[in-house]
Amino acid sequence: MAVTTANVATRKVLPGGARPTRNWREIRAAYGFISLWIVGFLVFTLGPMIASLVLSFTDYNAIDSPEGVGVANYRELVADPKVAKALGNTLIYAVLYVPTAMVVALILAMVLNRVGRASGFFRTVFYLPVMTPTVAVGALFLLLLNGQEGLLNRTLRLVGITGPNWTTDTNWVKPGLVITMLWSLGGTVVIYLAALRQVPKDLYEAAEMDGANAWTKFRKVTVPMISGALFFTLIVQTIAALQMFDQAYTMFFGAQQNSTYSNEAALFYVIYLFQQAFRFLHMGYASALAWLLFLIILIITAVQVRVSRRFVYYEGEKD
Amino acid sequence: MSTSPPGLAAVSTTPGPDHDRTEGSQPYSGGRDPGWWKRAPYLIVLALASVVFTYPFVWLISASLKPRTEVFDNALIPRTLRLENFADVWDYAPVLTWVGNSAVVGIAAATTVTISSALVAFGFAYFRFPGRNVLFGLVLATMMLPQAVTMIPVYLIWNKLGLTGTQVPLWAQNIFGSAFYIFLLRQFFLGLPRELFEAARVDGSSFFGLFWRIALPLARPALAIVFVFEIQASWNDLIRPLIYLQETSLFTVPRGLKAVIDTFGNGGEQHWEIVMAASLIATLPMIIIFAVAQRHIIEGIATQGRKG
Amino acid sequence: MTITRRGLLAGSVGALALGATSACGGVSGSGNDADKGDKGDTGSLSTQGFGKPDDVGQARIDAFKSAYPNVQLAINEGDFDPQQFLSAVASGNAPSLVYLNRDLVGSYAAQGAIQPLDDHLATAGIKTGDYREAAIKEVTIDGKVYGVPEFYNTRNILVNGAALQEVGLTLADVSTTDWNKLHTVATKLYKASGGGIARIGFDPKLPEFLPLWAKANGADLVNPDGAPNLDDPKIIEALTYALSLINEQGGWSKFKAFRDTWDLFGAGNQFVKNQAGAFPWEGWYVNVLVQSSPKVDLQSVPFTDKQGTPISFENGSAWCLPKGAKNPAAAINWMKVMTSTDTWLKAGAARQATVEKNNSIFTGLFTANPSADEQIKAKHVKPGQTGFHKAIENYYASTGYAFAIPGSKAGSEIKAAWQDAVNRALSGQQKPDAAMKQAQADASKAFSAAK
Repeated sequence: MAVTTANVATRKVLPGGARPTRNWREIRAAYGFISLWIVGFLVFTLGPMIASLVLSFTDYNAIDSPEGVGVANYRELVADPKVAKALGNTLIYAVLYVPTAMVVALILAMVLNRVGRASGFFRTVFYLPVMTPTVAVGALFLLLLNGQEGLLNRTLRLVGITGPNWTTDTNWVKPGLVITMLWSLGGTVVIYLAALRQVPKDLYEAAEMDGANAWTKFRKVTVPMISGALFFTLIVQTIAALQMFDQAYTMFFGAQQNSTYSNEAALFYVIYLFQQAFRFLHMGYASALAWLLFLIILIITAVQVRVSRRFVYYEGEKD
Repeated sequence: MSTSPPGLAAVSTTPGPDHDRTEGSQPYSGGRDPGWWKRAPYLIVLALASVVFTYPFVWLISASLKPRTEVFDNALIPRTLRLENFADVWDYAPVLTWVGNSAVVGIAAATTVTISSALVAFGFAYFRFPGRNVLFGLVLATMMLPQAVTMIPVYLIWNKLGLTGTQVPLWAQNIFGSAFYIFLLRQFFLGLPRELFEAARVDGSSFFGLFWRIALPLARPALAIVFVFEIQASWNDLIRPLIYLQETSLFTVPRGLKAVIDTFGNGGEQHWEIVMAASLIATLPMIIIFAVAQRHIIEGIATQGRKG
Repeated sequence: MTITRRGLLAGSVGALALGATSACGGVSGSGNDADKGDKGDTGSLSTQGFGKPDDVGQARIDAFKSAYPNVQLAINEGDFDPQQFLSAVASGNAPSLVYLNRDLVGSYAAQGAIQPLDDHLATAGIKTGDYREAAIKEVTIDGKVYGVPEFYNTRNILVNGAALQEVGLTLADVSTTDWNKLHTVATKLYKASGGGIARIGFDPKLPEFLPLWAKANGADLVNPDGAPNLDDPKIIEALTYALSLINEQGGWSKFKAFRDTWDLFGAGNQFVKNQAGAFPWEGWYVNVLVQSSPKVDLQSVPFTDKQGTPISFENGSAWCLPKGAKNPAAAINWMKVMTSTDTWLKAGAARQATVEKNNSIFTGLFTANPSADEQIKAKHVKPGQTGFHKAIENYYASTGYAFAIPGSKAGSEIKAAWQDAVNRALSGQQKPDAAMKQAQADASKAFSAAK
């Protein structure tokens, strides 16, 4: 609220603090302000990235000192069926979850945008699940999704459908996790709603005058005008989906040594990485896994950025 | 995972030029304020969706109050009320300690990250200096960086410092700011009228004075958003407590809840009513925070989608 | 493991007293410190993996406290968590003692996460000969002993008498000797309802109990030298058979989802609710049942091989000394006290007190200390004719013939390999022979890589 109250004055601002100065005192002060971040970046980001690259060429268990092994870790990584499994699981999940979440959130946001004053209440309702801690969400949905007695299948049974065994049938574990995660999509709804509210109404009026129907208005006005928000959530949700950990780990993995309830269908990439690093102390191998993940996310994001350049409409370009 | 706020980090670039109405009283898009008969179908859709979103939560509360045999039944009002579930959780697990630990870690994490991110954000917003664009580009880039990539070396650093096994690694990295919050606060600072600062400069204020006496007080709402986001992120953090904490008495809420699930859930005793009671205890503080800071939270999330 | 927790929920134990750390560190039992050792009687002692002590655990902790009143105890509640433990060792924050399953000992020994105990045992006068041979075998790697064994869990088949009666079978029909007949019995006991399962007829307990099925078919998963033997045709055959039992009873995903809903430790357990026909299980479960549902018609038979000879496999926990553990002398004293006959007798008395308070039955304590077991049995276990009494008798008998999976320097990797393989077979991702062949490849690699 008050945040934006302050924003009202935006117009008077020199954008980007753009003052062409080469005053040394200012430069020194500027670097003083950002020095914390620079230190943090060097110590906790750049340094570790280099270190993990180096470690990925070693055999290291954190107890004895590392031993260089050349590219053995990478060779193993290619041959390890679990890497392929985990990667496959993660990609399948991301492909299932991200578009579904975007479509559902957009529908909800568009409906919310039609009800005027009441939207505030419903928005709160949709956002509430986001406040539930991820571990609690995992525990809760493990029960709700139980194929025999769970709420979902009991409800489906009321309408004569025998639901699948979401938590124990390997084909349904990932869809089950998608359902789990969809419960917490309130954030995306809020983002879309905010974006929808910024679409100038005269665009719709103009479209109507051209005889556009609802679908055309959606395609030609709504989607381009909120494409920035769509693009933003696409990137963020994809990166988050590729790093799935909390809920899947809570539901299907844990302290018990026996893997009686750890399900290979829920072996996500970061879970496998975590196990390799901190359960088996294969730190070198895990570092190689980490770098592979980094490259994958880099490539996927780059592709998304490239492709979306063609579709995303930035208001600024008009000027 | 945990350092990014509730599911989101941002890439958008500029703040909305206009005041966002989050209260919905000014219907922007359609422009028309539809009559209730026109709104009715939408309201019905929303009501149904609300049931879907609320039901799991109500189910959780209700299951936490049921005896084990009734957990899976679909009665929202427990047929047999069993408050002892909560006593059982208390007996088994030091839940109160965990809540306390999470509060301490959360406040440490949120305080440090708010102050440091504000400092850095101000540096990027107020000054124009050589290297600024490159460095800010790096800030944005680190938002995309998966935590998993640096997880191992960062662990080794804390290990070298002898701080594994303590709660320090759960928050101390925040001393150096967090990209997403730097971005968010910079956006905010950019929105402040420059004249305010120029006037203070003329009056002989130091740069730090500008930050401390002008920027910070004005930014209070934005700082609140950052603070609350980080509290929630910290409250959700599972992977770092798994890595760094070994003693039960130091566990945070998610780590403790995971231990309860391991013992009482699948592969354990299948005492689901205990698991549900513990889950509810873990959730309640967040609901309280939401009740108190709802506007800030929604506002903060909404900001991210405004303009892309 | 689980035995240590059970009392708490039955509400029978005042386990509240023991907080995260010893609240009353040695104040209470300070009467008798005459013959404590000259070392290891001071300092602090932290444990990991011991869970939350029940009456039996508490009695033994008290025994240690009265023997070593000056040692500060810090018991980390919660079950053993490999990730938690290894992180602690790697961080140099190793606990003084770790309590874990004996089948994990070999891998941690090979990794250097735990230390050999032979010298310590000799100094402290702990004789490995006092423990059951199978248990010691599990914790012996390359001739060195790495752990002091504690409980000794064996398996027998528990049967729901009500279900038998309902379908017109007798206890004699429930036998694993004739695998074809077992098929018929399982499907008879099985009951479906709607799209789901109402009762599991015979649960082969996969993946956990594969060693039992393998042994029944004449094969071992691990060779005496610790090398994996997972793709033995007899094992594949056993897995194929056990799998077929599940497939005829709804298939794995339904089967497992149904089992997940069981109220295993409660008054609405699968016997009370008639959700189970028969399944092999560890002995401590009898004690759970006698507390949560003493009225059920519990029956039991030994698991047999195809010749009809009773077989059982045992496992249990052990105390180990982590690398970098502070205060090893006190840790060894702890191991000695916790597993000595005298202490077990005190634990037996504590259990007896609980039993009397609840007006229940003493269901036996099964430990790796045979002389303690004998004395406790003689003292507390009352003969009787009920199904519970018979079950207790069967479990005592099986401690005499149970086999162990030999300790291996790649023990936990081997176990993970075959359990994953069984899971893959259960979920239909792989056929049993492909699954076990992949497991053998994985396990062999781990075995030859282990130092």
